[in-house]
Parts: sequence; C-alpha cells; structure tokens
Amino acid sequence: MRTTAEMRGFIREACAMLARQRDLAGFEVYASSSEHRVARINYTSDIPARGVEEFKSLDADGFAIRIAMARDPRETGNSAIAGDLTIDAARDALERARRSVIVDPHFPGLPRGPKRLRTISASAEKAPLMGAKDELLAAAAWRIVGGALAAYRAKMKLAMPQPGLVIGGDLSLIRDRIAIGGSNFDDIRTDESARFASSVTALVEAIEAKGTATAMGVSAEELTGAGARLGREAIIRALALRHGERPRPGTYRVVMGPQPIAEILNYMVVPSLTAGAFQAANSAYQGRFGELVMDERISLADDPGARAGSVRRRITCEGLPAERTEMVRNGRLCGLLANTYDAHRLLTDEHRAEKLGGSAPAELAFPPHNAYRMGESSARRFDGHPGATATNLLMTARAGVSEAELIRAVGDGIYIGRVWYTYPINGQRAGDFTCTVSGDSYVIRGGRLAAPLAPNHFRINANISEIFSKPIAIARRARHAMVWGSPEAYIVPPLAIEKLILSAIGAAESD
Amino acid sequence: MSATRPRRSRASDGVFGAVEFLREAAEPMLRRFVRSHRGATYAEMRFEASFTRTASAVDGEARDAFESGNAALGVRVRYAMADGAAGEGFTGVEVGRIALNRTKLSAAIDSALAGAFERARCNAREMAALARSVPAAVIKSMALFGEVAPSTERAEISATCRRDPRTLNPSELGRVCREASAEIAALGSEITYNAVAALSELRHEIFINTAGANISQAFAFSQGDCYVVAAADGGYQESYDTIGQQRGFECLADDWRDELTPNPSLHRFAVELGRETREVAAAPALKPPDREVVVVTDPHFNALIAHEIIGHPCEADRALKMEAAYAGRSWFLGSLEHNEIGRPVGSPLLWTCSDPTLNGYGHYLFDHEGTPGRRVTHIEGGVFRGFLNSRATAAILGVEPNGSARASEAWHAPLIRMSNTFFMPGESDPRKIISEVEHGYYVCGHLVPSIAESRENFRISARRVFEIEHGRIGRLFRSGSVIADSKSFFRQIDAVGNDLRLVAIPNCGKGQPMQVKRMSNGGPTLRSRARLGGG
Repeated sequence: MRTTAEMRGFIREACAMLARQRDLAGFEVYASSSEHRVARINYTSDIPARGVEEFKSLDADGFAIRIAMARDPRETGNSAIAGDLTIDAARDALERARRSVIVDPHFPGLPRGPKRLRTISASAEKAPLMGAKDELLAAAAWRIVGGALAAYRAKMKLAMPQPGLVIGGDLSLIRDRIAIGGSNFDDIRTDESARFASSVTALVEAIEAKGTATAMGVSAEELTGAGARLGREAIIRALALRHGERPRPGTYRVVMGPQPIAEILNYMVVPSLTAGAFQAANSAYQGRFGELVMDERISLADDPGARAGSVRRRITCEGLPAERTEMVRNGRLCGLLANTYDAHRLLTDEHRAEKLGGSAPAELAFPPHNAYRMGESSARRFDGHPGATATNLLMTARAGVSEAELIRAVGDGIYIGRVWYTYPINGQRAGDFTCTVSGDSYVIRGGRLAAPLAPNHFRINANISEIFSKPIAIARRARHAMVWGSPEAYIVPPLAIEKLILSAIGAAESD
Repeated sequence: MSATRPRRSRASDGVFGAVEFLREAAEPMLRRFVRSHRGATYAEMRFEASFTRTASAVDGEARDAFESGNAALGVRVRYAMADGAAGEGFTGVEVGRIALNRTKLSAAIDSALAGAFERARCNAREMAALARSVPAAVIKSMALFGEVAPSTERAEISATCRRDPRTLNPSELGRVCREASAEIAALGSEITYNAVAALSELRHEIFINTAGANISQAFAFSQGDCYVVAAADGGYQESYDTIGQQRGFECLADDWRDELTPNPSLHRFAVELGRETREVAAAPALKPPDREVVVVTDPHFNALIAHEIIGHPCEADRALKMEAAYAGRSWFLGSLEHNEIGRPVGSPLLWTCSDPTLNGYGHYLFDHEGTPGRRVTHIEGGVFRGFLNSRATAAILGVEPNGSARASEAWHAPLIRMSNTFFMPGESDPRKIISEVEHGYYVCGHLVPSIAESRENFRISARRVFEIEHGRIGRLFRSGSVIADSKSFFRQIDAVGNDLRLVAIPNCGKGQPMQVKRMSNGGPTLRSRARLGGG
C-alpha cells in the first residue's frame, strides 16, 4: 500500500497544478490506496477440499479529481486514474475531466467545511492492523479449520461414515488509506483504517445441524483470538441445533436476534434513511420526516467514532469530518445519511415539502457526514462517487430488558437467529420484505428456548413496520452483527415481535 | 452487420498497448519465476485493459459523465512442499497507468507473483501443520484434492463493434440519456423520479500460464439502464430494467435486431418503461388468492427464475458446498452420492442450458482458466444432467471442464459463473398458452428475487400481474409476486412457448469480496402453478 506521506505529497503537487488552471473555479483531488486480503475457509469431510481456498490479496491505488468550471458555476466534470500517483497522471486526469464536463443545474459546488482541520498525531491516526502480514491471516484461518475439527471430534465421539461436515466462511483483512485536498481546503486531509471480519458456518448435513460464528475487530490480538475460537464456536452451535423441529406454518410471536435485525436494517431501513432516497421518492419513510416511524423506545444512529465499532473513520471521502448522525431518536425520524450533493438536492427540491412531509421542521439541514466512496470489498476506492453510507450502525433501546425476559415475553413462539436473502420485494418504498430463516434458531415454549428450529424451514413475508413499530419488548444489550457484503458494522439489540407470518418451505429431495 | 476487429494495439493505444507486450513477454516471466522459486510448481497471469465511457441523467437533467481507462492483473501461484502439502496464492492488482511503462509493469507483475508465492507457501505450511496435528482420516478429503491440469490453449478473439467506445463523442451518451429522461419526466406528474444511464466499454484480456496457454480475447459491451418511480391514487411503483449487448454503442442508439436478444433503442426502451410504471402505479395492489393458481410467466420474468433457480444452483462450487457460508448450497446436490443427477426435477417439457457461444450479454469463447466455453445442458426433458464447472470442480465431479470459471475483473480470482443461461423453447404459441387458461394470472417482467438457501424455494416479484379470465388477459395489478417450491413449480409446467428471449443481467453478485458480473438469462413463456404474494 502507498504510504500516507506519498499520498500527501501527490495531493500537494496535483493541487498546485490544478490551482494554476485558469478555466477552473474549483477542484478536488482524492487519492486512495486499499487492500483486501482474504482467506476463504472451505473444508468438507466428504468432498475433496483444500481447507483454505483462494488465499488472496486485492490491491487498488489511484485518485479522482472533480473540477468546477469558471465559465459556468453549474458546469462540473470528474475523472479517475488507477495505479499512478504522479503529476503526469494528474494532467491526464484533468484532460479527461474536461472532456467529461456536464452542466448540472443542481450542482452545489464542491464540498465546503472547515478550511483547516485540527491535526492529530501520527500515532493516533495509525490503524493497528495496518502492518499485519500474510502469516497472521494464514495462521488464524487454519486455526479456525483446526479448531472446528477438534471440536467436532470431541463432541461427536461416534464417527459417522459420511457426516457431511462443512466448515465454510472467510477471514478478511480490509485496509485503506485516503488523502484529499482541494480549492476549498487549506490543508491536505488524510485518514486510514484497518479491520478484520470473519464469518464461519459449520454444517453437519447428516443430522441437519447448522451453526455460525462471527467476529470483527481492529487489532492483531482480536484477529488471533477469533482464529482460536470461531471454528470451535460454529461447531458447538451447529451440534446444539441438530435435528431441528419443523413447526407448522402460521402466525407466531417471535424474537428477532441481532443478525436478523441487522439484515433488515441493512437491506430495508438504512437505504430508506438517506437524503438521496427521499429525493428519489423511494424511501419507506417518504413524507414522514419528523414523525414517529419506530417504537418510541428505539433510537438509531451512525457513529464512525464508536468505540465498540470496527469501522473507524475520521474524515469522509469529501474531506469533511466524519461525525455521528442520529436518524431515529425515540422512534421519531430526525436525520438522514447524506453527502453534499444529495443534501443540497433534497433541501432545494421544489417538491421538498411533499417528500419530507408536514412534520419536517422548516429550518432543516442534512450535514454531509456520511459521504464515502466504497468499493466492492468495503474499502474506500478512488473511482466511486461519494455515496451516503453508514459506518457503525447503533440501535439502542430505552426500557430494555434482559434476553431471558425477552424470550419469556414471547411465551410460545420462535427465536429467529439468522435470516438470508432479505430484499424489498415490492420496492424500497413499500417496506415489504421477504427472507428465509437459515439457521441459529429455536422453538420457544413456556418462555424458554425449548428446541432447535430446522434451518431453511420458514420463509418470512412481512413489512418493516411489523418489526419496528410495536415490539413486545426490546433487549437492553446491543450485540455485534455482520451482514455479508455490507460495508457497515451493526450493533443492535434483539426485539420481540407480537405477530409474524411464517410460511413453510417444501423439501427439495427427490420422491 | 459487420464485425470489425479493434485496431492492433500500439504504445499509443494507452494501456491497451500493454496487451501485445505481455502476450510475448509474460510467458517467459512466469516460467522464470517458477524456475527461480523453490517449491513453485505453476504460475498463471490474467491481464486486462479497459476503456469505459458512461453518462447518466436524472429527471431530464444531466447528472454525470465519466471516462475511465484502467488496467489490472491477477496472478496465481501453486506451491508444493517436499512432504506433499500444497497451497495456492493469488494476487490481484489494479495497475492502471503503470501499464504504460513496460519496466514498471514488469516490476508490478514480479511483485504480484512474489506476493502470491508467499501466500501459497504460508498456506501449504499451515496445511502441513494441521496434517501433523490431526489423524489422517479427519483430513482425507484434503488429501484427495489433487493437482488440477492447466490449460494449454492458444487463441486470439476480437471484439465485435461498429463504434469503438474509445472514439465515441462523449456528449452523445449524455444527450441520449438526457432526452429519454426528459421525455419520461414529461409523461405526467405521477412520475416522481427517473434516471437513465448509458455505458459503452471495450475490454481486452489475456490469459497466460506456465503450461503454454496464451489466449487473447476482446469484448465490447454497451448497456442502457432505466429506473422509474411513480405514484398515483395512493399507489406506488418502482421499476427498473436493463438492455445490453456485446456490441458498440450502435445497439443502443437505434433499435437492435437480434434473434435472441433484440432491443429497442435506449430512448424507446426508457420511455416505454416510464409509461408502464405510470400505468402500474395507478393499478390496485394484488390481493393474492389463498391457494395455488395457474400462472403464465413471460420471458422477462422467466429470466430471473432461470438465473436464481437454474443458474446459481448449477454452479459446481456452490453444489460442492464451497459457497455454503455465503450464497448457500444447491438443491441439485445433497452429496456426491445422493443428488439429482440423472433424476427427474421437472416436467418432461422442461429443458434448460447455459451456452456462452451464443450471442448474448454472457457470451465468451474461453473462460478465465483458459478452458473453451461450451453448451452445458442442465435439465433435459425434466431430468437433471449437470453443472457449470471449473477445472478443479470438474475433477472432483469426474467430468470434463466446461469453461465456466470467470472473474468480473482481472484482479479477482475466477469463480464459477453463468453465461447465457436459459429455459429452452418449446412449441406452443404464447397466445394459445394464455387462451387455454380458464382462470389464472399472467406474470410479466421480473423485479426482486428472494431465494431459500439451496434455492429449493423462491419468491420473485413481478413488474405487472394480469388476471386471466376465460382465456383473456384482464385486470392489471401491482405488487404481485410468485411464491413456489422450485421442484413443484418445475414439475407442474404444462406448456412451454416458442418465444425464447434472452435478457441482459448486468449485476450478478457472487464471491468474497463480491464480484459483479454481466450475463444473459431468459426463456420462453411458461405455464405452471404457484402461490402468489401481494403488497
């Protein structure tokens, strides 16, 4: 990866060159260097397998420029160059940006903020995992496999000839550095982050057992610790969930665990809580800004500086301070994730009143605290546009109860610990979603977890209002949850729901 | 139409010039690397140069225009220890403008090979350590994973395009988008938002390995996307669709006639979607019957069934549990002993296949392991026949590799992917299929899928659902979806139309990290039975 000093030097040189261009009214140069190292875990007892597959590193460096033209304040262009942080590349990028200019009547100008940010020490900026080597990742990935096999052998003393044991998942290390400068800033701003994420699934197909274990963190110690425990945890959970029950389809009281809550937030709620969604009129909360959109006990915020979060960011990809954004406070919609363009576009929209609704305050701002250029690997990338993305999503509850009380509150019902393929089936605005219950779940009887639920037995067809509007109870303690492919980290409490329709999935075997 | 070869690459072609350089230089570099690194047994490299031009408009006004040239490489190294433990390592790098300088590019390749070698060695050492700590029986499946024979193919394949994306006037894409978006916005106040985007891209890639393979393939892609939101009388509809061809921008500027994948011009396509969305928003939401009903599904809707219920579970990596933690398993394979191969999974009228050699958005002649792509029959007269595979999974299944391992970009490791995957046509006239229905529903256009873990069950929403009464198409509904167990739906198919169409799918996600791939899916009109979901 490029060093911060190297990126800082390039930004300084490119900004100096762009400042000399008479046809420009403003400019921004953004550089990123990112790396995603992945060890995929793939052990199968009855099918030839490599144990760890695709041990790989994906590296991307580059920069993007945005320009505003002097002849027309609405005229703007942008371009990106990969691999080369030199002044020749900056000149090439400028020519491409000039060729791509468009007149956008809603262009608000380049992002503005403090001309200079408070400098912090190099050690405070340094992400602890930035220097982690391949050996650390390989050792942790293989310890996951080894830990799972040891736990399986210890728990299943009577060896089955063909157990269908599957240990799958990955251990990913995601690192990025960015630097940004421009005509609206007096300084060059830099940031770096490094984190790992691991998700392990264990299956014993012969006994219909499935369990998962996940971890996220920002230090080598946490990564090594994850390697030591995840495989074992996944196996123990799987074996505890063997031969699950298959209750009849119907309407049930349920507890939704942290992973289902995170998944529904990720695919259904967070995309609706952006200024861009309201401007495009496709938010599930369209016209309801300022109104009660969730139960009054629930609050929802994004916090890039959260101590408990694994996604740490100090500045956005527009060079502005990354700050906490409150979206739902005591059930009421009070804020939106935003970048500079979408915030301006919504606030100046001729249909603003209709899009936000009558409860929106007259004096309203959507500070652009959430503009990130995200790549497929959840690292920051030079060639994306700044979207509105969350970092650490925190859901908190007033009057929360313990998880035991939560399950007691349901009495008889289902504990849903993991869902899969959650999508807005009738479009985002409708709030309708469907998904399947894929594992880590139980039947609740008499206020206790009484028996495992068979994985892939139920499909959920519901609306987000059924989940968040009137929960029977909310857990006091929020827990970490991961959503596959999502750049955000979730820290959320389980909820108990009064009524959820669960339909049955038919068996796939041949007759 | 005439197919034109892209100009021969020269240094002045920017990053494309590196392709010709590497076709000569890379093989000796790879061989030298393997010779000079003890334990290295094999190395391969993929390199690609690309040029992309895009434009978009929102509500009739320009929103964005972009021109990008990029170059990237991916290398794989195999390493074997003296005791037999082996490992693979992969490095993917976006080199971009580095590709303009041969010395720097060569250094970048050497560095990538060194990184991949180091990862392969770490992997092998850790595997050996595990083998020492557990009984051999526990890891016998790992001992069975043998060496995979690499490709030795050599070929050169040109792109097909009349209008090279590199020479397009940048303003032309923007104008097409702006005019179409403005016309949609002018359809009425019910249209609350619309976005139209266009892309034209040229990509040149090579695959070279130490076994002698040297394959050069160039591709042209053009794609138009449209997204429309409409609200009317308390109703609401959000629709999106894509047209795409492996051609130059000529296929979007005008109506494009093609046997399997015809499309209107981007302008006409977008405005038609706008009209439809406006009409659907005003329609009532479907109140689904509480029982299974007759459903006639159109080719566009069937494209998503082919994608989710045939294509994905026919990927051998998924079937062999390699994706169990991410995208799930396959309803076609419980285990190597108990599976659906050679068993009935649908009606005798059901035939499905993947064929990368056909014109379509998923066309190619060699995959990213250097294997020739060929037609793979998945279901033959209702009987399941086989999977899409890579060289490694073909060896596990004991079949020939069929050329289905592909990466979305050179810096990604190849995964098993669909090409042009579809239901094959039958003999029935689609009008007759509908006219034979006493009461049922005609389901048109796909929207959003949700699939059970092994794809044994699905709920897929439709852009439009019409009631069929006495053989005639009647009332229009919005927010309708088809819910079914996969095998039950396939077994109850009792009519297959003769109207095969392929639809461009621009954004199929798979892998860790996620790779987004272009492909085609489709089928003819089908008739079966399913439950419906409403809104």
